Amino acid sequence: MAKDKDTDKKRVLKPERLDRTPLQISVNLILIALFLLTYTYGWRVTEIDISKLLSPPDGLKGLVSDLFHPDIISRDAKTYRVYRTYLIPCDPTRERAGEVGEGVTLSPDCGNIGDIVTIAGEGLRPNTDGTIAWRTQQGGTKILAQFKTDENGSFSFTTRVPEAPPGQTKGQHGAEVILHWEEGSLQLSETARQVLDKMLETIFLALMATTLGVVLAVPVSFLAARNVMGTTRVGMIIYFLVRLFLNILRSVETLIWALIFIVWVGIGPFAGVLALTLHSIAALGKLYSEAVESIDPGPVEAVQATGANRIQTVVYAILPQVLPPFLAFTIYRWDINVRMSTVIGLVGGGGIGFLLIQWINLIQYRQAATAVWAIVIVVAAMDYFSAWIREKLI
Amino acid sequence: MLLEVKNLTKVYEDGTKALTNVSFTLDEGEFVVLLGLSGSGKSTLLRCINRLVEPTSGQVILNGKDLTAAGGAELRYMRRDIGMVFQHFNLVRRSSVLRNTLSGRLGYNSTLRSILGIWSQADQQRAFQNLERVGLLNKAFNRADELSGGQQQRVGIARALMQEPRLVLADEPVASLDPVLSHSILKYLEDLNKEGIAVLCSLHIPSLARRYATRVLALNNGYLMFDGKPEELDNAKFKEIYGQDAESLEE
Ligand SMILES: Nc1ncnc2c1ncn2[C@@H]1O[C@H](COP(=O)(O)OP(=O)(O)O)[C@@H](O)[C@H]1O
Ligand SMILES: [Mg+2]
Repeated sequence: MAKDKDTDKKRVLKPERLDRTPLQISVNLILIALFLLTYTYGWRVTEIDISKLLSPPDGLKGLVSDLFHPDIISRDAKTYRVYRTYLIPCDPTRERAGEVGEGVTLSPDCGNIGDIVTIAGEGLRPNTDGTIAWRTQQGGTKILAQFKTDENGSFSFTTRVPEAPPGQTKGQHGAEVILHWEEGSLQLSETARQVLDKMLETIFLALMATTLGVVLAVPVSFLAARNVMGTTRVGMIIYFLVRLFLNILRSVETLIWALIFIVWVGIGPFAGVLALTLHSIAALGKLYSEAVESIDPGPVEAVQATGANRIQTVVYAILPQVLPPFLAFTIYRWDINVRMSTVIGLVGGGGIGFLLIQWINLIQYRQAATAVWAIVIVVAAMDYFSAWIREKLI
Repeated sequence: MLLEVKNLTKVYEDGTKALTNVSFTLDEGEFVVLLGLSGSGKSTLLRCINRLVEPTSGQVILNGKDLTAAGGAELRYMRRDIGMVFQHFNLVRRSSVLRNTLSGRLGYNSTLRSILGIWSQADQQRAFQNLERVGLLNKAFNRADELSGGQQQRVGIARALMQEPRLVLADEPVASLDPVLSHSILKYLEDLNKEGIAVLCSLHIPSLARRYATRVLALNNGYLMFDGKPEELDNAKFKEIYGQDAESLEE
């Protein structure tokens, strides 16, 4: 009982916690100082600036709005062109050349620089935008006006015959009227078509890299499995070398491999396939070999004992055991490769990323938005797809 | 003489002396039971004979040929004559019963044909015959893990028979089975023994040894303590080997 009281007292007072030695205090101070130093430096080095985050530039609004107005669909662009000549000076005997189209008249249709001239249209396409341009004998063009036809398809525009460069003041001038409008059914815009094309390339990039990666990682993983290779000294040496090789491969990121292969085989999807394949081999080789190492050794020994050789043992006793985990890892890798193949184009490795970075650099945010949405949709769809496959197979 | 084991010694990497200087011979037609308490070295001895475990020293001579000196292809060739049945059956659980059975024939087939899954008509017939023999013809296309323990062990026997072995090593073939099943499994071994296949079977129940063995070997702590007729291993002898605390022959 007395003992209990003693310990109770101690717990209440905790003398050793209350008066710390100067050494303890200074150690704590140093730790606190180190902590503050680390994070102050980190804050500065990464240029963290909350005020920037809170006061976005005006451009951001446009960017966000563009993001929600991707360039996906458009109609066929149509134009209708009318050309009417104007002679300087008037000369009824002179032939007029190059007139096209109908429904526009010049009145008068001859005169001098600076004279009043009325350009009028009738029976044209109603409610349609158009431009009027003046052309000199040598083909110099000056835009005079933008207009819109009324509901009857008429317009009228009065102006003075514009100045022409020296030497071009005489001869056949003329007014060119161009109506432009969109018609027909909605269709994919040029941007959308480019995005689709590159998206297809992206998916096939992931497919080729995953397939090549799996085909090469399977044999490599057996070489990197201790229970397969550990039976002989030579096997053990191969095991260590393959492990080392895989570790080195894995420590270099895919984008860096892409940069290396771009130098080697040039910009394009092939470089991307090589980079993703290499990283897939490294990652799958490790995962696969761990699956091989965790198998039940019993069947392996049983098959060995029948007189089967190493390859037969792998096929008959090991493969059936590792197939389910191999499949799971492969689907997981496919997901990663789809994601990676959408960004590998940023450095020139082919796929949609190439278009994306190009449009961003040209400040074509609506086009860029199309690419971003395509990436979001494809990655999400592939996620669902692989989840479905996983459910079916495993 | 089918098998001769000479001065077999096994010291594991961690220094465990599992076998010390074990010598015996085994003739065609014999059903030899290897007795011993758990940890006495029975598994090690059986696995040294087909070199699933590499002996530290000594020789294993099969049909006059030194198996311990054989390497690579020669060893695989010699292994075909030695079937093995395991305590935990060691079937590939996800593969079919038929495929497990056929795998006993791998040593007779080329690598390419077997990894492509091409089996000769004769091998297929042999597999069905052996499955019929162990009463599992109707399970040929089931997955191995759908079978009960006793059935799995019978597949193990069919797999060993595929090798057309001259010797079958059985490592506690009934230890993980319901006792009532023990006799059914051991009877299969007895049948194949009567057809001329020698059997070396480890057991830890002396009464079973007495029932099936033509000869008994008893191991204790890696030493071969007894080699003789089952009836010579009476209670007194048994206690002499395993100490006063050991259970009697009649359990
Ligand atoms: N792989 C191994 N490494 C080290 N020691 C082992 C190994 N296998 C078995 N042993 C040891 O060798 C001795 C004999 O084991 P074993 O042959 O399995 O006996 P039994 O089959 O009669 O139970 C035991 O002491 C066991 O612990
Ligand atoms: Mg054992």
